[in-house]
Amino acid sequence: MTSSYSCLVVEDSPMMRQLIVLALSRVRNLRVTEADDGVDGLRKLAGGKFDIIITDINMPIMDGLKLVKRVRTDPTHKDVPIIIVTTEGSTEDRQRALQLGANAYITKPIQAPQVIAKVKELLKIEA
Amino acid sequence: MGDKKGRGPRKSDRPGESVAAELKEKRDAFLHTFFKRGAELTDELVTDNRRLRDQIGALEAENASLKTQLASDRAIRDALRKIEDLEREKARLLSTVHEQEAITGRITNRYAEVESELESFANLYVASFQLHSSLRARTVIRHLKELLQQLVGARSVAIYFLDEAARRLSPIASDGVDLATVPAVVLQDGATADPVTAVIERAFLTGVAHVAEGEVTSRPAACIPLQLDDRVVGALVVYDLLEQKKRFITVDRELFKLLGAHAGAALVASHMYTTADGRLPTPEALRAITAGDR
Repeated sequence: MTSSYSCLVVEDSPMMRQLIVLALSRVRNLRVTEADDGVDGLRKLAGGKFDIIITDINMPIMDGLKLVKRVRTDPTHKDVPIIIVTTEGSTEDRQRALQLGANAYITKPIQAPQVIAKVKELLKIEA
Repeated sequence: MGDKKGRGPRKSDRPGESVAAELKEKRDAFLHTFFKRGAELTDELVTDNRRLRDQIGALEAENASLKTQLASDRAIRDALRKIEDLEREKARLLSTVHEQEAITGRITNRYAEVESELESFANLYVASFQLHSSLRARTVIRHLKELLQQLVGARSVAIYFLDEAARRLSPIASDGVDLATVPAVVLQDGATADPVTAVIERAFLTGVAHVAEGEVTSRPAACIPLQLDDRVVGALVVYDLLEQKKRFITVDRELFKLLGAHAGAALVASHMYTTADGRLPTPEALRAITAGDR
């Protein structure tokens, strides 16, 4: 029986979100839910069960760091792998996110194979 | 004669006895010599016999050794033949492996090409979608900047638009660089000395994009003329790339082609729509425009 996975993409830029979703559409049995900021992300998390989260760091209302922190205290999703999307200048943000419990990061400009590989690695999906 | 003389006349038994004794002595001596020679001969024969036995033993041992060696030689010959067979089989298998490796290499390359094309399509789809997702000039400009920053990895960019009356290109938006510091480009047919301005002017006048080959070491990294039908109406300038982005890749070049062909139209259309307060053209107006096409 094939497992199916659920991924939450939290990104305020519709363009980046679309790009990430397009990349993830190439991962079999992966259902993707979109959220356009941290608060929307938390709302989506409260309404479902996710196997992996991809989040941008710089977002209005609630940024990615706060989201990571909140997810790690959420009993349902505290162990879910989190990938953060960062820009090259945000080394401190990246380190902070990793300290808070993010599992991996992707640097912009993102490339589809990189996103796919990271998701498969964290979900332990064979290539 | 001597014997005759020696025997002499038998005048008494004394000489006869003497002869007999002499004969006996000779006989004994002869027998002694005879037996001694016989014993010696026997000894010699025994020795010879022993020597010959030893020789036979040695020859038998040598024979056995030669037989073993012969068998061993045969085994070696068989082994060598087997090795040759195995070598041939190995060569055949290696050849098959090399063929398979070549096929795998071709498939891997093709897979990489397909991956690259897929990524290119995805980026172009997103760019095209975002570019035409709004008819508000502000949003179009924001999307343009975002496309260059997020998809290409540009650190600093400027968007120029043609000022026909002043015959110059004026900066209308920028990202990563203060717009107030971005100079206008006066179109003077290549007379400018500033290398950045010269690249922008050349790209605008020729309609040919400038995209740095290999590692980006000079500014601007890229300059894309914006086409509107058969006119060039502006330019996108990428001054620098993000630190981790060292060079442009195929996907970027494809994106530049798309932006060069569509961004000018998106800007002009959004401006016209905005200045018309979002009013739609009437069907009659559109029909009148297309009437000549029938």
